[in-house]
Amino acid sequence: MTSAASPAVRRGPDLRIPFGFALVALACVAPLFLGNYPLHAIIIALIFLLPAHGLNLLLGYTGLLSLAQAAFFGIGAYASALLAVHFGTPFYLNFLAAGLVTGAIALPLGIPALRLRATSFVMCTLGFVIIGQAIAKNWISLTRGDMGLAAIPKPYFALGPASFTVSGTVGFYYLVLAIAALATLAVYLIVRSPAGRNMIAIRENETLAESVGIPTWHYKLVVFMISAVFAGLGGSLYAHYLTVVSPLTFQMYYSTTMLIIVLGGGAGTISGVIFGSLLFVGLTEALRVAPELRMIAYGFFLLALVFYFPNGFAPLIGRFWSFLERRK
Amino acid sequence: MFYTVIEQIVNGIVSGSVYAIVAVGMTMIFGVLRAINFAHGEYYMLGTFGAWFAIDYFDLPYPAAIVIGVVATAVIAVVVGNFVMQRIVGAPAEAGVLATLGVALILQNTIILVFGGSYKFFSGGYIEPVSLFGFTLAEQRILIIIVGLIVFVGLELMVTYSRIGKAMRAVSQNIECCAVVGIDVRHVALWTFILGACLAALSGVLTAPVNVSVYGGMGELITFKTLPIIIMGGLGNVRGTFVAAMILGIAESLVATYVGLQFRDTVGFATLMLVLMWRPHGLFSAQARF
Repeated sequence: MTSAASPAVRRGPDLRIPFGFALVALACVAPLFLGNYPLHAIIIALIFLLPAHGLNLLLGYTGLLSLAQAAFFGIGAYASALLAVHFGTPFYLNFLAAGLVTGAIALPLGIPALRLRATSFVMCTLGFVIIGQAIAKNWISLTRGDMGLAAIPKPYFALGPASFTVSGTVGFYYLVLAIAALATLAVYLIVRSPAGRNMIAIRENETLAESVGIPTWHYKLVVFMISAVFAGLGGSLYAHYLTVVSPLTFQMYYSTTMLIIVLGGGAGTISGVIFGSLLFVGLTEALRVAPELRMIAYGFFLLALVFYFPNGFAPLIGRFWSFLERRK
Repeated sequence: MFYTVIEQIVNGIVSGSVYAIVAVGMTMIFGVLRAINFAHGEYYMLGTFGAWFAIDYFDLPYPAAIVIGVVATAVIAVVVGNFVMQRIVGAPAEAGVLATLGVALILQNTIILVFGGSYKFFSGGYIEPVSLFGFTLAEQRILIIIVGLIVFVGLELMVTYSRIGKAMRAVSQNIECCAVVGIDVRHVALWTFILGACLAALSGVLTAPVNVSVYGGMGELITFKTLPIIIMGGLGNVRGTFVAAMILGIAESLVATYVGLQFRDTVGFATLMLVLMWRPHGLFSAQARF
């Protein structure tokens, strides 16, 4: 796998920090000049950013290829939807509960799965998706089967006497933007901590990492759980945004999408994953590409990534930056 | 009661044969390329579509449709093999997973785009029932069992005696040594892949009269059923794969009858996870190689 591209010796001020601030400022005022549809596309992209961050921790930093993100995404969506529909709990409770539930489910699933070698581990994580879908379809008394759960309320907050509902695209945009920013900050803190360096050590050489005293087994299990929590939180947002969940939430399609985001953006980089989710989810959603055409394009993207861009497309941007700086 | 059990077991053997014909190809591809072929079910789908196209558009008889389905798949397999599968030789495991996932997406959605996503009716095949030892069985099902046996014996003979078969076994044991003694690894990989894709197509065409409906997404289900089989059989192990396919076929048929039809498609992965916890290297291989 890849490591973060290390910038060459720079002359002049680093352009990336002001650029980052400009991007954040732009994100804050985006609703002023974007129509509802592009905003919707960005919301979907930001929702997918959460499970993608999780997968990036797992695949990009710890080196474990997992297809289970769709399963945890679905579990989070269902957990949130069930709470909202049956108990009418407020959004922030559902959101936190979705994260806790997926984390708790990931523990017993991760213990046997992580004992397997590369190929078998991939298969096992794929099995989680298939079995998750079967449960969502067949546990009709709880999940209403193929009919799915509808009329999930839009997020509303009740703090003491004051309560307000986030309705409309603009309101939801700011909510998702705030959560995505917090999630990105969380990933940044994890990756920059000593734990993050240990994860990279496991990715590069697990045997060597273990020999210098890193408890690799615990690290892999905890990262697997954290990635599941991220996916569950994303699923919760998805359920509250679309207001319906169905067994189709457990689909290989979502796992593939998350893989494309992480690998396409650049596994093992945070900015790459943000770039990837905006490019692959936001752009295809905004362009209203027919689902079949989008999947065909994803297929060609995957092939191109494997054979021509093993570091993802984000390094191209890095090259563009250094090109700009050299010109100054 | 006893009669139903026997009947379900016979049905299980039929679907086991279908899975076996698909799965041997996939397991041989794994043996040579060290890559799980996530697109394998799509060749099953392509074969079925080829045959359906021949019957529906050109009114060809079923035997001719079988040939057309398999040949059409072989042509596509040559293209995919040259542009994708050969490059996987010696690449890390993740590359194989991702590349074949990409191929699966492209093949499946191209077919949906061209022919539409709706279910199509497959009208060929031998669906007359015949009586055999007191059981009534459609002719097509008997044909499936017979073809399954022929494929199994044929592959065993090929792998044991023919030059390319020996080369396949050699490559699946040690790629570098093969290159040293002058075996063209990429050539062997390509032919193994084409053979596997053709077997999957054959299985698809043979099953189509039993399943009746043809649709673009049908390959994915077959891939998901074949994956547990080849892992339970021990990756790269042809004989183990046949036994595992029969076990899964019979188990599915019994679960569908006695537990509930809706649980049939989960049997494979549920069994797989239990098996992996107990014997991570599959049921029939001596030690874990992958």
